[in-house]
Amino acid sequence: MKQGRIWLAPAVVALAALSIYPLLFAIEVSLRTGSGYGLDNYFRLARDRFFLVSLGQTLLYTTLALAVEFPLGLTLALLVDREFRGRRLLRSILLIPMLLPPVVVAVIWRLILNAEFGVLNGALRSLGLDTSGLTWFGSEKSAMLSVVLVDVWEWTPFLFLLLLAGLQGLPVEPFEAARIDGASPSQVFLRLTLPMLRPVIAVAVLLRGMDLLRVFDQIFILTQGGPGFATETVTLYIYRTAFRYWNFGYAAAMSFVLLAATTVIARAFLRLLRQHPA
Amino acid sequence: MKTLQRILGPLLLALATLLTLFPVYWLVTLSLKREVDQFAVPPIWLRFTPTLAHYYDIFFVRSFGAYLAHSVVVAGVSTLLALAIGSLAAYSLARFPRPGLAFWILSNRMFPPIVSVIPLLLMLRWAKLLNSLAALIVVYTAFNLPFVVWMMRSFFEEIPVDLEEAAMMDGQTRLGALWRVVLPLVRPGLAATAAFCLVIGWNEFLFAFLVAQTDAAMTLPVGIAGRVTQYEIKWGAMSAAGVVAMLPVFAFAAAMQKHLVRGLSLGAVKG
Repeated sequence: MKQGRIWLAPAVVALAALSIYPLLFAIEVSLRTGSGYGLDNYFRLARDRFFLVSLGQTLLYTTLALAVEFPLGLTLALLVDREFRGRRLLRSILLIPMLLPPVVVAVIWRLILNAEFGVLNGALRSLGLDTSGLTWFGSEKSAMLSVVLVDVWEWTPFLFLLLLAGLQGLPVEPFEAARIDGASPSQVFLRLTLPMLRPVIAVAVLLRGMDLLRVFDQIFILTQGGPGFATETVTLYIYRTAFRYWNFGYAAAMSFVLLAATTVIARAFLRLLRQHPA
Repeated sequence: MKTLQRILGPLLLALATLLTLFPVYWLVTLSLKREVDQFAVPPIWLRFTPTLAHYYDIFFVRSFGAYLAHSVVVAGVSTLLALAIGSLAAYSLARFPRPGLAFWILSNRMFPPIVSVIPLLLMLRWAKLLNSLAALIVVYTAFNLPFVVWMMRSFFEEIPVDLEEAAMMDGQTRLGALWRVVLPLVRPGLAATAAFCLVIGWNEFLFAFLVAQTDAAMTLPVGIAGRVTQYEIKWGAMSAAGVVAMLPVFAFAAAMQKHLVRGLSLGAVKG
């Protein structure tokens, strides 16, 4: 009996040392001031224009990506949720992007969307089109949309997979009853599929949203937050603050504000879902 | 409406498949093209004279062979450690439930990694482990632990208690019963969990980038990133290295197919 319980010990010790301790340490560092402890770092954040801009851009990035990835993932899931030959193969293919190393995904798209030598602009030029306006990651105007585009390619599969699993888990009877009653496809979708899928939608969008708020790898490789400040997100600004300006306390404070913002948004989202039952 | 749907559906799926596969295909062709062909306008879609020069370049001129070895060791060893420590804890939680503790273990995964990066770096510096494979192994093991505990706990819970109790009646210790009776039964789950851990360790960038900046411990993603963010991109070398980093993932993916949804809901793949 006792033997079975002691087996928890290694995992608990490892997590305490490598997860809890760093967390407590980060809290401590964020509260340090020149003369003792205080909330200076947090007050400074509220006046830091760069931080506020990066926070706004993080929210913009998250919103844009979700606005494309969710409808697209749902459409694909609905299309694959029926019997046809090659379905399993198709599902596996559609999942490829999210399993690739993010660094490799970023490299692929930097090569494809390179304004001068990339294959996309090259193909358009060979069709006789003027591509001088298609700067992709190269200009402040288009950089944000371009990094969102890469995110859509990489992570729509995540929503597709979770929503497809949700669709396949729905009971068959209500749909048969609806068909016998002569309901139209759009009625079935709006009155049956969507409401029954709600919990799965909530989980999928929530998980994706939380990951979007802490995006780092792709943007770091694609643009490093540039050109200028055009694609700087909070995590990139944290990275810059900690490892370019070596201000650990300020960076830690920022990361806790990001954590708090994530929690608040997640809770608001869940409450919104609960208040508007379909 | 119905006929429109019947045509539009497959058309959309075909388009999605094409858009999914083309970038991967393009990376592979770039890695095999001579430099003159890489930038040709109009682009060369299919027929070109293949060359392995870029692969020769990354392995024998640059040190990507070493980066590859580092990635294999770090992902492999951290996966084994996380599986060993995590499975023991998972079994314990499955048989002697402690909801509070179980939730605490999972909550360790919720924090953005950037929160714990700084203190971990300082700890590793204090332990004189910076720029070592050991540092990455330790960090990735801790990183994967909560995930392993939750995955394996659910697999253990599906195994009836009677089996191991019978084995213990026959004189096995609990560890013996776990090893000889229970583990063989959860082997598919164990394999899927291992595949997830391998992908996470293999793909991870942020920690590796900060902890292992010298050739002594650089992993593939860091090696690739380090050369891309400089002014000039070596297209051939980058695409060849990208292909090398991409290939093992396909093998892992096959192993986790059935459990992909369960794993992803627990936040796997994306660290």
